[in-house]
Amino acid sequence: MQKDVLLNTMKENAESVQSVVSHIKNMEEAFCYVSDLTRRQGGSTVTAPGLNIDERIALQEICGKQGIRFLSAPLRNHLREIHTSLTFADWGIAETGTLVLDSTSEDLRIATMLAESHVAILPAIRIQPDAASLESGLTALQKIFPRYMAFITGPSRTADIERILTIGVHGPRELHILIMEENES
Amino acid sequence: MIQTASDMKTYKKKLKESLDDPFLRTTLDNFGSSYKLSRAKAFENLDFDSLRNQIAEGKDASILCLEELFGTFKTNAEKAGAVVHFARDAEEANSVIASIASENRVRNIVKSKSMTAEETFLNTHLEKKGFKVTETDLGEWIIQLRHEGPSHMVMPAIHLSRRDVAALFSKMTGKEQNPDDISGMVEVARKQLRNEFLEADMGISGANFAIAETGTIGICTNEGNARLTTTLPRVHVVLAGIDKLVPDLGSALRILKVLPKNATGQAITSYVTWITGAAECGDSFDSKKILHIVFLDNGRLAMSKDPVFSEALRCIRCGACANVCPIYRLVGGHKYGHVYIGAVGLILTYFYHGRENARAIVRNCLNCQSCKAVCPAGIDLPNLIKKVYRTVLNDEHRRPVKNVLLSTVLKNRKLFHFLLRQAYLVQQPLTRGGPFIRHLPLFFEREHGFRSLPAIVRRPFRDQWEQWRPHVESPKHRVALFGGCVMDFVYPEQGKALLELLARHNVAVDYPLEQTCCGLPALMSVEETAAKEAAIQNMDALNSEKYDYILTLCASCGSHLKENYPKMFGGESDLRFRVRKFAEKVIDFSSFTVNVLKISPDVFGKSGKKIAYHSPCHLCRGLHVTDEPRKLLCFAGLEYIPSKDEDVCCGFGGSYSVEFPEISAEILRRKLDNVEKTDAEVLVTDCPGCVMQLRGGMDKRGSKIQVRHIAEVIAEEIIK
Ligand code: SF4
Ligand code: SF4
Repeated sequence: MQKDVLLNTMKENAESVQSVVSHIKNMEEAFCYVSDLTRRQGGSTVTAPGLNIDERIALQEICGKQGIRFLSAPLRNHLREIHTSLTFADWGIAETGTLVLDSTSEDLRIATMLAESHVAILPAIRIQPDAASLESGLTALQKIFPRYMAFITGPSRTADIERILTIGVHGPRELHILIMEENES
Repeated sequence: MIQTASDMKTYKKKLKESLDDPFLRTTLDNFGSSYKLSRAKAFENLDFDSLRNQIAEGKDASILCLEELFGTFKTNAEKAGAVVHFARDAEEANSVIASIASENRVRNIVKSKSMTAEETFLNTHLEKKGFKVTETDLGEWIIQLRHEGPSHMVMPAIHLSRRDVAALFSKMTGKEQNPDDISGMVEVARKQLRNEFLEADMGISGANFAIAETGTIGICTNEGNARLTTTLPRVHVVLAGIDKLVPDLGSALRILKVLPKNATGQAITSYVTWITGAAECGDSFDSKKILHIVFLDNGRLAMSKDPVFSEALRCIRCGACANVCPIYRLVGGHKYGHVYIGAVGLILTYFYHGRENARAIVRNCLNCQSCKAVCPAGIDLPNLIKKVYRTVLNDEHRRPVKNVLLSTVLKNRKLFHFLLRQAYLVQQPLTRGGPFIRHLPLFFEREHGFRSLPAIVRRPFRDQWEQWRPHVESPKHRVALFGGCVMDFVYPEQGKALLELLARHNVAVDYPLEQTCCGLPALMSVEETAAKEAAIQNMDALNSEKYDYILTLCASCGSHLKENYPKMFGGESDLRFRVRKFAEKVIDFSSFTVNVLKISPDVFGKSGKKIAYHSPCHLCRGLHVTDEPRKLLCFAGLEYIPSKDEDVCCGFGGSYSVEFPEISAEILRRKLDNVEKTDAEVLVTDCPGCVMQLRGGMDKRGSKIQVRHIAEVIAEEIIK
């Protein structure tokens, strides 16, 4: 599939299940996005388990200006506090608008499960047409254990009361995907 | 907790409760209709049949080597830090899990949805042992609080209204909940269950896949509760049926591609979680999750070796066979299964929960084929349902009188036809010479009065054949007509209309008088020997060498001849070839007229009469004929007006309507309501059995809408 077709399919399918999709050029934009989102939603904390030390300092600085606190690992100490989490997606699956996150790190799992809003950076080059294209890549990863892989498609949802779709039961109420056009910095 | 009727009398009483529940009926009916649309949309650009074949083939291969897959899984998962158990039955699975909890000094357990745990009644067991167990899937939590079993495999609380949930939550929180604020109620669950997650020391989940190659478990959820269940507590126990084993990730992904689409019309569930081994866990003493994986046999391995029933192990638990079932749509899951519900539930109940629980429910099937048509694993559900019924009868050394009679009569054509003629005489006082039996004989109960029963005619088709038989010089095609009992003895005029149309189109037709009942009623009463004998008589009578086609006006006979004959004799090498050749020649009226005769619109007048259409189960799903009849109506200058649920069963189902008259009546009522919502003058269908049910129903409600066989209507429109 052509790159832009792939990108559009990813975007369309992700949006059809209530993900919010934006494009960013660099990490700084992602940090501002997270900070603004948190403030807009009245949150006061962010966490970002996948960042290196420089990135973390940059995020902390941006958030700090808006009075938003950065939660450091281990996140077990903050189970009830996480408002926004920022993570990297390892792959995207265009066919279903899915993010694939290697969630073997417990902090990453907690961040993506217990946050009110989850923001994921998806490098455009990591978008695959369908799950089948990931078969060998995923199998290879699973052979190096332990491994906890997550396919995430939109925010948490239920239709258990009279089949009425309701967003945000146990997981994040919002899922934001930031597609980064360039390679990761 | 779950109580399933073990005799027909109690079962019927329970069915009546559901039939009297207006919420259930509306909600399930709306669900059935909207499911159909969302499913169709989800598969829009996909080839369902080829996906289905892939799943069926893959599953069949796994079913053959479950023990081997188990060995591979165990090796790989244990390398990765899990402990893998094999439990022979429910009791063993429950006690293994209880010991894991005790050994790890567990108090609070959270659970994400697992049908296998429902199967073993795990909660009851753990609670008895003093553990606190909380279901975390919203629907499961609701039914747990109500002490009920799930009424659907995917939507366990679908039988409850927002009012039921509000009342429950009000009681639980001590605060009045507004039933119309569904988000508010979901929020209550979020808050309450978040606490449970944080306090739990053990999580129990099910599994949708167990991948042998890497020892990986795959779990699909929408709510995200399985992720929390498998992450927060220090112990994680997986309980999965051994049939969940697949060789590799590819096999799992092929199933995943179909499962959510077929379950709810979603492209994929919000979360799919793949767990390989004991991942990091900050709450555990060595920072590693304590992970146990319990595989449940409970009869599955024996089933995997059964030549007939192993097919049922292909099930991927999508729930679709309930969604589309007209009976489920009326009575709901609690009356249509035990723990597992829907078509597959009728089958699995016998194997997992015993004969007592299966005995009554397994009889409640119309053989409408809707479940089979949507099953992504290609399971021939209606066939297996009948086979379970047969097994129950065998186990109990029972043979209902009805079966003995039916089988005796069907094996002897002369006796059968003699009795039908006698029936004409017996009914005389009841029909007063009209086309309907106006008063039911005493042996019919009151419930049968929902439709007028047609009268047997004085002179069946076979008696008038010599007189009606057309003579065609140099014919284009030679066909044999297979009449079927209803056309022959109740509606000979349908056959007559056909003869006229065929003669006009240069088709030579023969009606071999040695033909008898197609045998479907025998097969439906699980009298296989009688069914086979009828089949052989018919194949002898209608020597397929002599004809280009074997034409029938009856969709049920047609699909029985074409599909079931080869299946019945599949294992018999001496007959296999002959049956196949016979079956190949069988064709229905509309396909013959449109595809073989290629009838031209020019031969028809343009009356523009408004027509509604009922698509017989055995035509659209049995013979896979859907376009031809509708095309034919348009060719004939009629105005075809589509109505809702055209392809849903009329409720006849042969003897079903006699055995379960209340359900048959209700299904018929819906059908007729949908037709009456159009302004059609005539309701057309291609099966004399459906004509019987529909016409009887229309007569009873005094409707002006006529019900006719498509052959009659088409013949009438030809310019004379
Ligand atoms: S054949 Fe029809 S009535 Fe029987 S289980 Fe399947 S869908 Fe239900
Ligand atoms: S039998 Fe088929 S349709 Fe029914 S739940 Fe299983 S896979 Fe789905």
